[in-house]
This record gives sequence, C-alpha cells and structure tokens, in this order.
Amino acid sequence: MNTSDTIIISTRLRLARNVDGLPFPHKLAEMPARQIIDKVESVLSPVDKFTRYDMSGISSLDGTILQEKHLISPDLLEDSPFGAVMISTDENVAVMINEEDHIREQVILSGLSLDQAYDRVNAIDDVLSKNIKFAYDKRFGYLTSCATNLGTGMRASVMMFLPALTVENMIDGCINEVGRLNMTVRGVYGEGSKAEGYLYQISNQRTLGVKESDIIDAVKGAINHIVEAELKARQLLKRDEPELIDKICRAWGVATSAYKLSTAEAMQYLALVRLGGYYGYIDISDGVEFQKLITSVQPANMQRLGGNNMSANERDILRARHVSAVLNDMCKKTVK
Amino acid sequence: MKCTNCGLRDATTEVVVRHGNHVEKKYLCGDCAKNYRPDVGMDSFDVLNKLINGSPMGLLSNLSNLFDTPTARTLVCPDCKTTSEEFLKTGFVGCPRCYEVFEPLIEQTVKRLQQSDRHIGKIPVGAVDVATEEARLKGELQAAVDNGDYVRIGELSAMLKKLVGNKREGGN
Repeated sequence: MNTSDTIIISTRLRLARNVDGLPFPHKLAEMPARQIIDKVESVLSPVDKFTRYDMSGISSLDGTILQEKHLISPDLLEDSPFGAVMISTDENVAVMINEEDHIREQVILSGLSLDQAYDRVNAIDDVLSKNIKFAYDKRFGYLTSCATNLGTGMRASVMMFLPALTVENMIDGCINEVGRLNMTVRGVYGEGSKAEGYLYQISNQRTLGVKESDIIDAVKGAINHIVEAELKARQLLKRDEPELIDKICRAWGVATSAYKLSTAEAMQYLALVRLGGYYGYIDISDGVEFQKLITSVQPANMQRLGGNNMSANERDILRARHVSAVLNDMCKKTVK
Repeated sequence: MKCTNCGLRDATTEVVVRHGNHVEKKYLCGDCAKNYRPDVGMDSFDVLNKLINGSPMGLLSNLSNLFDTPTARTLVCPDCKTTSEEFLKTGFVGCPRCYEVFEPLIEQTVKRLQQSDRHIGKIPVGAVDVATEEARLKGELQAAVDNGDYVRIGELSAMLKKLVGNKREGGN
C-alpha cells in the first residue's frame, strides 16, 4: 500500500435532484412517489445493470446491510416509506429515490477518486436529465427540499483513516481548520471526535455560488491539508516506537487469535493493524479488501454471513474466526 | 412570486387591505410598495396612519416602514400548502413552487448558509442558459438588420420577446 492508501479510504460524489412540479418527498403521496421510482428504474436500466430495492418490501437485515455498506442512508431505511434505491452490480453506483430529495445520485469509489466519481455521476445525471425534467431555477440552481443543498446539489465526501490525529488529540483542531475552508468532518461510525475505527468523512458545505469543479478542488485542498497533518501526527506517534510496535502487535495478536470479538473490538484492533501497515510492521496486500473486512464485521453483515438465527454471542465467535481467517490470508506480521 | 401590481419584479411585501368586510391581499415588490396608496378613507392602512400621525401627510413614510416587515404574516404555498412558519421551523420547503412563495425568507437563509444566492454550476440537459441565448439572438438580430432581412428580424424579435418573458417568470 502507498502512503495515501493508508489514510484515504474512499470517495463519494452525490447529486441531489427533484422532479419539477411535484412536492418534495416529505409531502409526496404514494402514487407519484412510486411513479418516480418506476421512471428512474426505466431510465437507468439500459445504462447499466442495477438492482432495485424498495424500502417498503426490504427485510430489516437486508436494509441494514445496505446501510452498513454505506449504499443507503439511515433516513432512507427508517423514514422514507416510499423510498427505494437502485444499486449497480459493482456497487459503485447507488441512486436513492424519495429520500430527502426525489433522486440522489451517488457514486462511491475507493481511494481519492473525486474526478472519476464526478465523471461517472455526471454521466448518470445527464441520462436522467434527458428523460426527467428536474426542478431547476436560474438563480438557485437545482431546487432541493433543504436550502443546504441548493445550486449544484453536490456533496463530495472523502472517507479518511486518521488514527494519529485522533490519538494525539489534534483532530478537533484539524476539524476547526477545515471548517474554515467550508468543509465538515464527521465520524463515519459514531459521531464526534472519537470516531470508531478512526474513520472520518470530510465533505463540502457550500453547494451554491460554486461550480462543481470548484467544490472538487476545495475538497482536494482540504484532503491534502489533512493528509499532511495526519502524516506529521504519525511521526509524533513514533517518538516511543517500542510502545507503538507493542500496541500494534498486541492488536494483531488479539485480532488473529481471539475466540470472540465484538464489533467495537474488531474495529479497534483492525484500525491498529491498518496503522501497522503504514509503519511497515504488518504487510497488508490489498487496502480495498481491508476496507471490505471493516464493512463485513458490522452486525448485519455478520448476521448475513452466519445465518439469521445467530445470538449475539454466536455472532461474536463467528466474527473472531472471520477476522482471523481474512487477516491471515491478506496480511503478514513483518516486525520481529 | 412576482409583484401583483407591476408583474415585473419579485414580490417582497404582503399587504392586507380591508375594504369594509372585504379583505384584499397584495404581494408587492419594493418599488410598488413604496409608491402604493390605498384608497383614501376606505382602507385600514389609511385609518391606521391617521390614528398614528393625525394627518395623511406622513402616510408614505409610515407605509414603507410597515411594508418593510413582510415576514410578519404567514405565507402559504398554493401548491403544497407549506407555510412560512413551517419553513422557518424545519428548514425544509415542500415543493419547487415554495422557492417563489418564500423567496424573501429563503433569500436570507440561503445567503447565510451558502454565502451566495446565485447558481453558477451545471444546468440541466435541455435547459436554456437565458443570458447566453439572449446574447446569441441579439447578435443574429443585428445581422438580420444589417442585411435588411425583415422576415428574419420578425422571427428573431418574437424569439427574444418570448425568451425575456420567460426570464421574468423565472423559468429555466
């Protein structure tokens, strides 16, 4: 893995759109809501192979799995009675329908891929725009149910792994600094500065009065700033290297040998193993697969792996076996 | 929403005028609000003004003060029935039309949130960039005038008139 692979996990580009002449989802009746879903499905089907999931018919487990994979939002799953999502086979495209806005086109790619993600989401947007008249105003741009998304309707987010800034208690200062660049920082798992697994999402706040390319450039600038800060903090962590090595080796030991692992424990140990990858104490062959391991240890994904009737205890036992098997397959402890 | 008096500028003020038992609502732009004179002796503003000032001479200045507080009244979107109070409480509007109805309120919110109130990004496929199209048509019109092509002048004039009309209505 290269240096940025150990800090930047994935990129998400989202465009919010609404159908002209119809109430926004929180005011929309069932019939037009279902017609929007059908229309989006018919437009997208020739473009790529998509699977449609209606929130009214999806099982709680399947819905939570999609949420844990960050393909749908909690709002779509819990508060959108006529919501749906179209997900591409490669799971890089997820178009949410009737969430906060009628259509939320999302592209999710690994690493820092803002330009590629925009190109792909823009192509999808063009196809939809040719077939659906979007609510648009010359002054305010794309009209959205909340003014925070007006204009471009675009949110560019980057998921980052920031253990050193967190451990060194420098994350709050970093959040304030990027806040001045009109960016927001939030924990991916859990909120606040003590994000579980040291995973954070950085995204733009402004959507109006800026071009899409401006947003991408601004997010890139903020990401570069945070990467530099994290690298400096990782140097600070090495001031007591034997202690650091011991901590990472203990995490490796538990993660590969434990009989039971809770989700929180797995997240903590895997974060330290990933950090060991950066320092070269552990060789991680594939950063993308490592992130998939993080997703796979979440409760619903674990439940799917083991069958529906597992108790919490059984799930923890299965998680420990799963983590151990994947780590031994994908990683090697190199420090002696 | 456009001013119900001139139909040209955006309405920023809601005026309620009472004629006996009859209540009339007007949505006025800033210019029309300043120049607005209710029927002397017939409406509540005039009566109110006389009570406040004792004379109709101070009518205009006091009216503009009253008109400068448009948010005092509840606005309701005719399409989705969202009220201005609902918007201010939740931050959500109910439909695209709400952006016209609540424009004065939204304008303040948007400027605070976004540090801008002008979209400069992508426009939908098929939507016309009015400023660019207007410049293009004007160029063609000038060429038609130079060539004395009266049929084309007529066509282009009609197209420009339609485009400018659409722009005033705030369309794509």
